Amino acid sequence: MPTILLVEDNEMNRDMLSRRLKRRGFDVEIAVDGREGVEMARAGEYDVILMDMSLPEIDGWEATRRLRASPRTENTPIIALTAHAMAGDREKALEAGCDEYDTKPIELERLLAKIDALLNAEA
Amino acid sequence: MNGVPFPDAPLTSDAAKQLRHELRTPVNHIVGYAEMLLEDAEDPSLVDRRSALEQTIEAAKEVLTLISATLPSTRTEIPVSDVVSLYKSLRGPQGRIVRAIGSLTPVPGSSAEPEFEADLGRILQAAERLVPEVAEGEGEGVRGPGASSSGTMDASRASAHLLVVDDDPDNREVLRRRLEREGYRAECAEDGERALEMITRHEFDLVLLDVMMPGKDGYEVLEELKGSTETRDIPVIMISALDDMRSVVRCIEGGAEDYLPKPFDPVLLRARINASLDKKRLRDQEIDYLRQVALVADAAAAVESGAYTSGPLSAVGRRADELGRLARVFDGMAEQVRTREERLRDQVQELRDEIDAARSKSTRDQGLWGEITLAVGERFADRYEIVEAVGHGAMGTVYRARDLELEEPVAIKTLRSEFVSNPESVERFKTEIRLARRISHPNVVRTHDFGESSGVYYLTMEYVEGLTLHELIESRGKLSVAAVLAIGTQLANSLAIAHEQGVVHRDVKPGNLLLDADGVLKVMDFGVARLAEGSTTLTQAGSIIGTPAYMSPEQLLGEAPDARTDLYSVGVVLYECLAGQLPLDAASTISLIGQVLNVEPRPVIELNDDVPEALSALIARLLSKEADSRVQSATSLAEQLSRLS
Repeated sequence: MPTILLVEDNEMNRDMLSRRLKRRGFDVEIAVDGREGVEMARAGEYDVILMDMSLPEIDGWEATRRLRASPRTENTPIIALTAHAMAGDREKALEAGCDEYDTKPIELERLLAKIDALLNAEA
Repeated sequence: MNGVPFPDAPLTSDAAKQLRHELRTPVNHIVGYAEMLLEDAEDPSLVDRRSALEQTIEAAKEVLTLISATLPSTRTEIPVSDVVSLYKSLRGPQGRIVRAIGSLTPVPGSSAEPEFEADLGRILQAAERLVPEVAEGEGEGVRGPGASSSGTMDASRASAHLLVVDDDPDNREVLRRRLEREGYRAECAEDGERALEMITRHEFDLVLLDVMMPGKDGYEVLEELKGSTETRDIPVIMISALDDMRSVVRCIEGGAEDYLPKPFDPVLLRARINASLDKKRLRDQEIDYLRQVALVADAAAAVESGAYTSGPLSAVGRRADELGRLARVFDGMAEQVRTREERLRDQVQELRDEIDAARSKSTRDQGLWGEITLAVGERFADRYEIVEAVGHGAMGTVYRARDLELEEPVAIKTLRSEFVSNPESVERFKTEIRLARRISHPNVVRTHDFGESSGVYYLTMEYVEGLTLHELIESRGKLSVAAVLAIGTQLANSLAIAHEQGVVHRDVKPGNLLLDADGVLKVMDFGVARLAEGSTTLTQAGSIIGTPAYMSPEQLLGEAPDARTDLYSVGVVLYECLAGQLPLDAASTISLIGQVLNVEPRPVIELNDDVPEALSALIARLLSKEADSRVQSATSLAEQLSRLS
């Protein structure tokens, strides 16, 4: 069962997305800000990290850079989640080290397809 | 004034970005939760939730479209008027979301799904965040990000409409220009008469009133303003060169909000104007709040009198506070009650039609009834006059009679002698009747008395003009699904009340269910079957209680029956109504008993394809051999049936 680390500061987003992913058979663990996200990612084993980019403490951009800099997490797939589709956000996310990029509102099927693709690429 | 002259300054691109984010986040929540609940609603028993959830998602997507149209990321400056109209346009979809979710909100206490309720609460919470709490009309303005936090000028103050009344043109003009620089909208009147006329024609938030004027002076204008209910709530600040205490006191006593000596200090002027406007705003809010409380109270009264239509509370429902929540829950509940009542009315109408059709060809062959104990016209037990024999069952005969003391029709059921020969069973029966007498419900035939007269034991009951469900099925064959739901819901409701009182019916069957001409179902003989117990054994059951077709397996096995036994019997009754035949039937009592114990009936849907799948499945659950596998309470059954309607 693939395990996902969801890094998201908004409580409702967290509750909603984690429940929807669990229904689809994923194990989901949660970090509420960038700092916790980095700590958990370094301590645990995750198949995919879903990273909200606007986070308190350390934002998603910085958290991603730190994860990429750490040998333990440098290859863990990260999907960046941003609130608005701004031109250039995608490039910015990939540049920061994310493997994929998705915008809110989350379309579950689209996100699942991206997760699947990353999981398959990894396997 | 260093602040943005709100509300005219456009939103910067950062502010627009923030606003977009603030608006889209709740939409994401609404869509996400609603989609999740929609996935749940794929369960056949929850399909009736789908349309409200789909409406919710559709409305939320409309909000997204509106946001993208007004706040495109490519636009650098967005006029505040666009934001105001965006907010206005969001109210439509927001209202639809609130209503749709409200219609799904269960009546408090009736739901066994706290998670579902919590998710509905989250959707409502998100919907509340879409449109800020704004009073009707323009006055309150919009609290835009960036603008409201930037200066001392509050939106409600900035858009305030001020009237300057002064006979000196220079004074007037100076004051007007100063006020406009502060961001107020200001108009002028040159004397008292003109001021009063302008105030009746336009709405002003505050009046700055010179005391010394030719014609009507400031005192008189103040008196007129404060003397009229229309204008007394407009704050008035008196302005005068007369800085003597008596004048100040006179103005304050006359109802002026404040008093400013000329020449005035601009800082003091601003502070006093703002303080007055704030006070007024609070008062307006309070008045508005009280008015909305009154609306909710009126709505409650309207529900009680059956005159409630949803709508009047929609403005209250947009409030983000407890009152708003109350109004939304209330609206949702009232709507639910109303649709449920409408459905019930339709079902009962169908039932009535069935009854009317049956009555026209109902035949009662009294010749077959055997033991008739009492004669027509006979005076019985010193109190009743027998009018006619109306029914006959395994336990005895039922008569329509007249209670000569109360001058009322009454039903008398005489009990066959073999049931009352054992004093112990008579005692047990009395206990049961005492319990049954306590059940008071529109769907239960009231039991009055148990007595004995010249060796004949009898029960007196409420007399119901109507026919039994047995007669209805005999004459109509299959009944319509709507009629069966009306029967089932009423039956489950009456059993719920009885079970709550500790009374198990033990003999639910079509012959014990009366239907009056209005389609009201009345269950009779609560507890009466108790009399036959003790003598009931597997072999005797058929001969004593009539047919074992409605008896649960545990009852046939002589185990102490509980409420779920009645629910099994309800299953048989509903099955028979829909299929026009019993779920299990056999030529002999013994083989029927064997079937009840061992054979699974065919799903009723196979015998009547009008039956919805969920109803067929529900009936199958009622007919489970194991009491633990059935629907566990009549209350739950009533709820499930009403959901199917």
